[in-house]
Amino acid sequence: MTGEKVFYITKEGLEKIKEEYEALKNLRQAKTGTEAPKILESEDLNPEYISFQEDLALLETRINEIENVLKNIAIIEPPKTKQEKGVVGVGSKILVEIDGKEKDEFTIVGALEANPSLGKISNESPVGHALLNHKVGDKIVISSPIKTVYKIKKIKYNIEKS
Amino acid sequence: MQELVNFFSEVGKLKEMPRRGWVIREIKNPETIAEHIFRATLLAWILARSKKNGLNIERVMKIALVHDLCEVYAGDTTPYDSILPRNKKKWKEIVKTWPRFSEAKKKELALKKYKKEKKGLEKLILNLPKDLRKEMKNLWLDYEKGLTPEGRFFKQADRVENFLQAVEYWKKYNRTPQKPWWLQAREMFDDPVLLDFIKAIDKKFHKKKKPKI
Repeated sequence: MTGEKVFYITKEGLEKIKEEYEALKNLRQAKTGTEAPKILESEDLNPEYISFQEDLALLETRINEIENVLKNIAIIEPPKTKQEKGVVGVGSKILVEIDGKEKDEFTIVGALEANPSLGKISNESPVGHALLNHKVGDKIVISSPIKTVYKIKKIKYNIEKS
Repeated sequence: MQELVNFFSEVGKLKEMPRRGWVIREIKNPETIAEHIFRATLLAWILARSKKNGLNIERVMKIALVHDLCEVYAGDTTPYDSILPRNKKKWKEIVKTWPRFSEAKKKELALKKYKKEKKGLEKLILNLPKDLRKEMKNLWLDYEKGLTPEGRFFKQADRVENFLQAVEYWKKYNRTPQKPWWLQAREMFDDPVLLDFIKAIDKKFHKKKKPKI
């Protein structure tokens, strides 16, 4: 795994990717095999797979990409020690105070599961990355070009063991 | 053919619909939704070409073209809508910062917006040929839910276009607070190409003058 990008993912996220992988492999089978490709006519075909209907090269690219993700995956595990519990890590839910005024809640997730509208911040975003490994009470200053101070008020982990 | 004429005629309404984010900031003659779609598509195409792992550019551009079509009927929604008071004089203060909500409220607002926009899109494409209708819905869902690398990339590229427009208005009118945009950018963007582009925007627009708020 040296030098390759690591994809942090929750257990549920991994299940979803595995499901997609199986579905795409079935789709490839249907397109290249002798069997009538009924799957291609299905009304219920997952939107995720629609672009692969007419483009086998794209389908192969996506399958290769998922294989690469699966090869370099790191399941987000609950912290093992008290010390680990006390610092921000991927999978932690944190309460922050911004510029001494507003409060916000973020969950730090891997890029594949990021959804900022729902408070899921990518560990590769400038703020997500800067918060990592800090503990309650730490102040993190981000200042390009306007200074903003994030003060960590709470850190919580609700991760199931894989 | 008639249904296509009707569709394009309805889509044409976006050429006259101002983006709500600028309306609440009292920008004079703000850009329309169609103008935003135009530049977001161009930006996504060109920046997607720089991606190391390669994206399906055609899909990126189709997602870009479709992503805001729902607004013909759903209108444009901003994160500020649920907190704007009736008194418009107070709006200026509110838009100085990025609105913050609890996790439950974030979920509630996102679901409400999703439902409204899904309904809007379904109404718009109702009479289109079945295969086209299916493709458009899927492209829109990809944008909404980030189902593929293309959908995830454009979700951020869309906000980068919006960000660039905010900086341009700041330069033009010198009174559009920039802080919310920077807060948003540093929490929402994680794509390396788009983060580089943001740095380049900073370099171009803030060479002589740094924004204070």
